[in-house]
Amino acid sequence: MSIIKTCNVKYSYEENKTVLKNVSAEFETGKIYAIVGPSGCGKTTLLSLLGGLDSPSGGQILFKGEDIEKNGLARHRQNNVSFIFQNYNLIDYMTPIENVTLTSKLQPLPILERLGLTKEEAKRNVLKLSGGQQQRVAIARALASDAGVILADEPTGNLDEDTAIEIAAILKECAHQMNKCVIIVTHSNDLANQADVILKLRKGELQAANTRDTSIN
Amino acid sequence: MKYTQRAMLYISRKKGKTLSLFLVIFTVAVFLISCFGVLNASERLSKDIRTSVGAAFYIRAKTEVSTNRNGETEVKENSVNITQKQIDEIMLTGEIKYWNPINYGMVKGDKLQFIPGDKHTEESNMGKVTGLRLSALAPDFTDGAAVLTEGKHITAADSGKILISEGLANNNRLSVGDKLTLTHAKLGKSDGEYIDEISVKTAYVQVEISGIYKLNIGDNAVKPTPSVAENGIYASLDVLDKLEESEKGVYTGEVDFYITDPAKLDDLTRNVQLLDSIDWTAHFIRTNDFQYSKIADRLISLGDLVKILLVAVSSVSAVFLTLLLTMRMRGRMQEAGVLLAAGISKGDIMAGFLLEVLSVAIFAMLLSYAASFGVIGFLEHNLFGGLQPNLLNDETLSAGIKSSVRAENYLKLNAMETLLIYVCQLIVTAASVFASSIMIMRLKPKEILSKMA
Repeated sequence: MSIIKTCNVKYSYEENKTVLKNVSAEFETGKIYAIVGPSGCGKTTLLSLLGGLDSPSGGQILFKGEDIEKNGLARHRQNNVSFIFQNYNLIDYMTPIENVTLTSKLQPLPILERLGLTKEEAKRNVLKLSGGQQQRVAIARALASDAGVILADEPTGNLDEDTAIEIAAILKECAHQMNKCVIIVTHSNDLANQADVILKLRKGELQAANTRDTSIN
Repeated sequence: MKYTQRAMLYISRKKGKTLSLFLVIFTVAVFLISCFGVLNASERLSKDIRTSVGAAFYIRAKTEVSTNRNGETEVKENSVNITQKQIDEIMLTGEIKYWNPINYGMVKGDKLQFIPGDKHTEESNMGKVTGLRLSALAPDFTDGAAVLTEGKHITAADSGKILISEGLANNNRLSVGDKLTLTHAKLGKSDGEYIDEISVKTAYVQVEISGIYKLNIGDNAVKPTPSVAENGIYASLDVLDKLEESEKGVYTGEVDFYITDPAKLDDLTRNVQLLDSIDWTAHFIRTNDFQYSKIADRLISLGDLVKILLVAVSSVSAVFLTLLLTMRMRGRMQEAGVLLAAGISKGDIMAGFLLEVLSVAIFAMLLSYAASFGVIGFLEHNLFGGLQPNLLNDETLSAGIKSSVRAENYLKLNAMETLLIYVCQLIVTAASVFASSIMIMRLKPKEILSKMA
């Protein structure tokens, strides 16, 4: 059963500029989804709508069968979804523990340790960590919110190849072992190929939903 | 994490930004407290000068100027003729604090050697007596030409009391408390020599020296002994009455009236001049506001300058603070986006920003209160050093007008005033936080995050 789904979602701005056209898709827990497509096709917009950062111009987004606008988008963001960004978006005057505590419903240190940070690293200023470590903190923050859906926008975009592989493994673990629904927007073939389902977007329309090992060209 | 925790983390971790905000608010707070201190001080000082020093008007006799047969100008000084009944009428015109009639006469004293003047002889060994109710209000004392150095001034309750000069006291080895016998005298001239026209003495009075005064002005002119300034004696009114030099209840020298508020001086004298019982063809009124007008001009100019400064600096500070906070908020757009993405409400984010700024502001204001003491000390010395009013009251009339009010007391703000300034500053600071945050808070979370990207 899907945890979150879009029903004929449309999104346009400045009246005539349509970004998404009747997008309908379902996302289940325990799976990792990759949304792929050329730049400007509406990938990040779709992710934002799923995360309640904006409202669709038409259609509905349902979380566990209920319209996310019913109880308010802020509550949806607080309880149902969590974000991982390409540029990590950590708060620069806080330590990893404090960053995780921002949204935490769980103990932050065990999560950070599970993602490979030592106790000492967890107490340093986040700007003193490497890019890979910062992204781990961002993932830890997403996990600590205990949300059912993790939305990741180019999570490996700023990382080297080895670190990107490690982060991809962590995201897979989140989906397969922690039973989260992980939805990734990416340009990376390698990362998309790790997904259970690949959704292709072109000119605002969902063209196909392929299983793993499908090329995204 | 609660907004209070976030705010405290920001303050403690972003030391440079916190310090710059602290310095701006601290500087503005010190400036505002000092300016309001000066403004209040000038207003209070002005009011106290008006009510303490007050003003005076004198009823004097008109002089007659004529030309004699030789073409020389002659000035005839007439006597005032004001009775107690007329004084009572004047007192009813309102707001008069003290009245002080002055009679003049000449005296000689038993074994009293006056300081010799021109063509001094035993005949002209006499001094001029000024009989009055309140010697502290004699023009020489109020203008600073004479200062009481020992003893007490003559007050309305005194009888048989005199004040003599240091010169006369030294000349006769007299001191406060010594008693003398005085008799009447009148200076005349015969064959180019000064004479005493009262050759047969019929009136004597025993007096006690109540105080000794010092003259602050030089007296080098050639004049007969009674006109030498140091031979001047101030006496209680009864002394001249007993020496048959004046009639009790009739005042022939001049009559001075002291009021509490110089601003009302003109109205009051206008009302007095409407009294029919006084012959205004023979009398005139001279007013004296004890330089209040000059001091008031200085205080009004100072007050106006401070008001302009206050308005200018308050406006510039509010704009500067808003700009500083706007720059600060731009740097925190990412943080706002992350917090919004995490489902934290805009109100909660704003509360965090507000708490950070207000915490720094309150700390800066507390320190500014302490720092303002130093600034006030500096301002007291440089702005109000010469503007300390003499208090005019029954106590100072007896002791001499020496006591003064320290301007520092005026410059200090009371707790309520200071609190009011701080509350206003906090409101302006809070408004600046809202104004600087509005740009971010009006954006949708997606717009903030797309700007971050």
